[in-house]
Amino acid sequence: MFSEFCHSFYYSSLIVAAYTCLLLFYKADAPFRWLALLVIVTLASESIAKYLAFKTGNNSIVYHIFTPIEYFFYANIFSRFLKNKSWNVFLIASVVVLVILEFLNTKYLQPLNEDNTNIMIFENILLIFLSLMLFVNIRTLHESDNILQEGVFWFNSMALIYYTFNFLIWGFHGLKVYQFLNPPMVIYNINLLLGALLYLVYILAIILNVLHKRKPLPVHE
Amino acid sequence: MNNLTSSDVIIFVWAGLLIILLLIGFIIFFVISYRHKQDDYNLLQEQKQKIDAQKVTLENTLTDLKDAQAQLIQSEKMASLGELTAGIAHEIQNPLNFVNNFSDVNQELAEELKTELRKPIAERDVHFEESILNDIKANEAKINQHGKRADAIVKSMLQHSRKNTGVKELTDINALCDEYFRLSYHGLRAKDKSFNAALETSFDESIGKIKVIPQEIGRVILNLLTNAFYACTERLAQSRAEVSRIAINDKNKIGDENYMPTVKIATKKLGNKIEIRVEDNGNGIPLAVQNKIFQPFFTTKPAGQGTGLGLSLSYDIIKAHGGELNLQTKEGIGTTFIIILPA
Repeated sequence: MFSEFCHSFYYSSLIVAAYTCLLLFYKADAPFRWLALLVIVTLASESIAKYLAFKTGNNSIVYHIFTPIEYFFYANIFSRFLKNKSWNVFLIASVVVLVILEFLNTKYLQPLNEDNTNIMIFENILLIFLSLMLFVNIRTLHESDNILQEGVFWFNSMALIYYTFNFLIWGFHGLKVYQFLNPPMVIYNINLLLGALLYLVYILAIILNVLHKRKPLPVHE
Repeated sequence: MNNLTSSDVIIFVWAGLLIILLLIGFIIFFVISYRHKQDDYNLLQEQKQKIDAQKVTLENTLTDLKDAQAQLIQSEKMASLGELTAGIAHEIQNPLNFVNNFSDVNQELAEELKTELRKPIAERDVHFEESILNDIKANEAKINQHGKRADAIVKSMLQHSRKNTGVKELTDINALCDEYFRLSYHGLRAKDKSFNAALETSFDESIGKIKVIPQEIGRVILNLLTNAFYACTERLAQSRAEVSRIAINDKNKIGDENYMPTVKIATKKLGNKIEIRVEDNGNGIPLAVQNKIFQPFFTTKPAGQGTGLGLSLSYDIIKAHGGELNLQTKEGIGTTFIIILPA
């Protein structure tokens, strides 16, 4: 029952988020447009995953493809927030590394019919790191009388919480899989709730960006 | 590795929730810290705005001050020109007198010559006619000489009042000193007929011409000479006042009836430099004000008699020429200003 609620809540949130993103896409700033695109792409990938799960009973292939795409979108978002040449180099390099690792992981460790938790964990580490760095950047360079009205703050806070928890989940999931045990659903349900919250907060971030458009962060070379 | 039990899962869930709480705590801490930082930043911006406003005010004040300074410099220039005027009038009067006298004499000589020429040839004295013609020629030469002298004085005055071009030119320092020495003395004499001073010059002819801005150096010399004469006038006035109050034979007092104002100007070559000394036997400068006399607007003269810019400008002019303006003074004995300029 709780599991069904979590699933419904997650997909409903994602649909609402994607619809809002479509509406606000042209009004938002560049990083938030990438965020909107990410939400829409996520909805698409989740729909395909759901369809494959229903049809074949295994949708792992979707995540093998979606994880590098998702990170590519995040890299674009962070590069527009961080606005620094060194960070751009790091982000491009990290995308390349993630794609290579995904390929190697698929070939040698987790084939297409298994979840690519190794890459998800790696992606989560990168996103946590980037999120923390963006906090430092906001603290140092951002000028706002009320940080709670800044879309970047909400985006970054939710990304930090969600991907930290995701990191634990996939670690735990990996552990259980290696022991050939069915993982306890409560953890995944919490993750679904957090996922739903993530997309709702992303909408909030985009709406705040549209409402309180401000000049971009100063560039520092 | 042993299988995980349900209690392990619960621990995991609680650990996960704890981490989420910690992250929320971190974010709250971030917001608080950001707000503090923003408050500081806003305070800083406010102060910056105040400082900027003050900066604008200061810049405006500085502009006003520069304008006022330019006006004062012009006033000082005009004041020095005023001091020169009487001297110039006197200096021009002398050659004009010569010109008038010699032209009168020439008229008389011409009449005499006419009379001589009307006589029959046998009675005419050729030697006498030649002598008259020679006299006329000599007088014409004098008229010409004094005319040129007047012309030189007028040119000098024009040069002094002319806007400074800032161009250095070869200048005869001795002639410049001599010119201003006489002009300043006669200027003072024109104001106070009873004033008399001994003028002493000692020019070193070996210094030749040096590259300076003549208007500026002229202004410095005139300023120093004016001060020198002023110091002598002051001491003379004191002496006269003292003499009327104390016993005439009290020779130790400043009120010395034998006091003779003396101003001396001297030039000297010092290797690759030249020295101009302006010396007076006035009251000297008290120790307490010696380090202030080159400061702008400092004056010991009564209100309205001095702008207090003379020595300051003189100092700046000499410094701009790469030279030095030094002071030697002793109270009750006199003062010497020494200008050193690169040759």
